[in-house]
This record gives sequence, C-alpha cells and structure tokens, in this order.
Amino acid sequence: MGVRALGWLAVLALIAGLGTAFGYAPREAVQGNVQRIMYLHVPAVLTAYLAFGFVFLGSVGYLLTRRPGWDRLAMAAAEPGVIFTGITIASGSIWGKPTWGTWWTWDARLTSTAVLFLVYVGYLLLRGMIDEPDRRARAAAVVGILGAANIPIVHFSVKWWRALHQPATLLGPEPSPIAAPIFLTLLVNWIAFTLLLLYLLAKRTEIARLEDMHAG
Amino acid sequence: MPDNWSYVFAAYGVAAVVLLAYWRRLAARAKNLAARTARRSA
Amino acid sequence: MSAYLRRAWIVVWKDVLSERRSKESLNALLFFSLLLLFVFQFALGPERARVEAALPGLLWLGFILAGLLAFGRTFLAERENDCWEGLVLTPGDKSAIYLGKLAGNVLLMAVVEAVLLVLFAVFFGLDFTGALPALSLVLALGTLGLAAVGTLFGAITAQLRARELLFPVLLLPAVVPVLLASVSATQVVLSAQPLGDAAPWLKLLAAADLVYLVVGVLTFEFVLEG
Repeated sequence: MGVRALGWLAVLALIAGLGTAFGYAPREAVQGNVQRIMYLHVPAVLTAYLAFGFVFLGSVGYLLTRRPGWDRLAMAAAEPGVIFTGITIASGSIWGKPTWGTWWTWDARLTSTAVLFLVYVGYLLLRGMIDEPDRRARAAAVVGILGAANIPIVHFSVKWWRALHQPATLLGPEPSPIAAPIFLTLLVNWIAFTLLLLYLLAKRTEIARLEDMHAG
Repeated sequence: MPDNWSYVFAAYGVAAVVLLAYWRRLAARAKNLAARTARRSA
Repeated sequence: MSAYLRRAWIVVWKDVLSERRSKESLNALLFFSLLLLFVFQFALGPERARVEAALPGLLWLGFILAGLLAFGRTFLAERENDCWEGLVLTPGDKSAIYLGKLAGNVLLMAVVEAVLLVLFAVFFGLDFTGALPALSLVLALGTLGLAAVGTLFGAITAQLRARELLFPVLLLPAVVPVLLASVSATQVVLSAQPLGDAAPWLKLLAAADLVYLVVGVLTFEFVLEG
C-alpha cells in the first residue's frame, strides 16, 4: 500500500510540475514559450541517468550476491530509463524544430542521449533473448555495468567531437544565468519525475517478484 | 519569435502518452498477478 | 601471477596456432577488407577528393566492420567443438582467458588493419609513410578499445541463438566513444597537424581502454559460468 501512496504523491508532484512549468515560470525572452519544453527535457534526462544508476546498482548487486532482487531492480530500472531517455530525445527534437529549424542536430546532449538510448535498448533486447534467469541476470549485469561505466566516456567524447565541428551553440537549452523561478520550476519537475521513477520501480519490481514466485 | 505552443503540447503530449501507456501496462499486469496470487492461496 | 599469465598465453598460443593452420578467419577477413574497399569506392563515387576527405572515417568504418566479424567469432571454436564446458571448468582466475582471447583478437585486427592500410594506399593512391608512427599509436589504442569490449560481448553472445544480430547491436553503441576519438585522432595525424592536437583524443582513448579492460577482467568470470 506504500506503493499506492507513492503513486499518488508522484501524481501530485507532476501536477505541481506542470503548474510551475506553465504558470509560474516566465516566458523566455528570445525563444518564447517554446522554451517551456525545457521543464520536461532536462528533468527527463536527469531521471534517465538516475534510472541507469539503479541499473548499475542492481547489476553489481546481483553479481556480488546472486540475490534475484538485485536483478529485478536492474530490469525494473532499465525500462523507465529507456522511456525517459526516449522522452528526452523526443522533447529535444521537438524543441529544436522551431528553435534551430531542424528536427535533429548533432548537438552534444542529444547525441549522447541517443547513444545512451541505443545502449539500453540493446540491454533490454539482450534480456529478452535469454530465458534462463541466472544466465540472463549475469549477461545483463555485465552489459549494464559496461553501459554505466561508459556514460561519462560517451559524454566527453561527444562533447569534444561536437566542439570540433561547431564551436558555439547559439541557442543553448539552458538560459544563462539561471534565474530563481526557472531553477525552482526545474527543481519541482525534477522531483516529480524522480518520484514517478521510484513509483514505477516499486511497481515493476513487485510485478517481477510475483512473476518469479508463480514461475518457480 | 512566435510562441509555437503546438510544439510545447506535442512534446508534453508525447511524454504523457508514453508514460501513461507504460503505467497502464504495469497496472494490468499487476492486477492479473494479484488475481492469480489470490486464486493460488484460496 | 606467472601461472595466470601462462594461462593467458596458452589461450593466445592455441588460437594463433589453430588460425595459422586453418587460416579460415584471416583469409576471409582479408578478402572482406578488399571487398570493403570496392564498396567504399562505389558508395562515394569516382572523385578522389571525396575519398580523401572521408579517409579517417572510412578507415575506421573498415576496421569496425572487420572487427564485428572477427570479434563475433572469438569463441566460435570453443562453441562448435563442444569445448565451452572446458572454458567453464578452467581452474583459477578465468579472466586469464579473457586476456588471452583479447590478445588474439588484437593480433588478428593488427594484421587486418595493416593490410587494409596497404590496400587503401594502393587503390586510392595515398601515402601513409610520413604519418605511420603516429597512426600506429592511434590504431593501437583504438583497436584495443574495440577488442576489449568486443571480446567481452563476444563471450556474452556466444551461446545465444540470435548472436549474429545481438552482437553488433550491443557492440556498436558501446564503442561510439572509441570511434569518435579514433577518427578524430586519425584526422589529426593524417592531415599533418602536430601530434599534440590529437593528445586529448589519445588520452580519452587510453582512459576508455583502461575502463573497458578493467570491466572485462572483473566481469568475465561471471559470463563464463554456464
């Protein structure tokens, strides 16, 4: 029943997030209201990173202890991780169309996030291909650990590669300096997404636990 | 620059649809499993 | 320690020996490299300038495509000859097997890359001799990264029915940083810029190689359990 409460808390926080994003945050001077997509885009990518942190945690936990609960955590985190990564990419792309004129730019964050998306979709595909629980958990854990260790490496390589080809991004996603209302709105939305992730994790691991119980 | 509200709603809309669809899938599976568990212990 | 290294060495030696006898991997890979050359030429068209401009990328495209084939086959011999249990039952630290297989893959790729360079030089009228020492460094660092992940993922996918699909799907996103850094560094080296310009890329490659090696050594035994 704690899960249900967490769910409601997440809904409330999301409503608060929407409220701040559309009601409280100011209209941006240069881009206009389309900049409000940032209140979706940035919390989404942060939540995706958190989810992949859980994947790493679950992967290491399983390899060290062999307790299925860790593998369930890794799996349960990968699914929303991929979803939030997808939302990051989609919202970034949709934001980019009116702002930069194209649906896709190889800008550093979009590209890194796209690579992350590919890594973890591969992770889920791998999980789908192995039936035996222990082998699946071990294989996924290794891929998950490498994927997580790769995140900073991908980030820097793409950033430097990007800097080579386009010295300055004229319209960056973050206005600088960050004014208080903008920061607060980002914070509220980030908290809301994190609560949503925790709720989805709790629900997904519970389902996995019950499925294992029925199967074994 | 014009406001491009359609893009804003598109972005939020995509996010809402995807998250809602995932949650509904989870909820359906959970209900299914709860019923199975109840039948098992009954 | 010496037992560990000896175990790794035995793996390399066995693979090199069986490859020298059958030559099946090497011959096919070399022929594949030749085919790639033609494919690149036809894809880019007759203008030499286009090929020269794309050269660093083409080189690494060639290397990664050959690598996909080579690394995917890392455990083929063990799998097809029912020797997988032999690997699983090896006493001691199984990461020695990983290092042995890795060394074998690096050797294989070294030959393929050298031949591909010669083919590029011949078919596209290019001269690599000036840049060769620096180029070798870039190739070494990049190939090590590709092979470190390729050997690990090769072991993971070895027993899967869908390995031909899943191996590239897993490997390519994972080695994006290696590709980016290697192509950029190759660009610097081939355009006669000072090697210092490539230094950040080389450092990134070295750091990435280290991370991949550590992960590979630490996690390989978990892959080989059954």
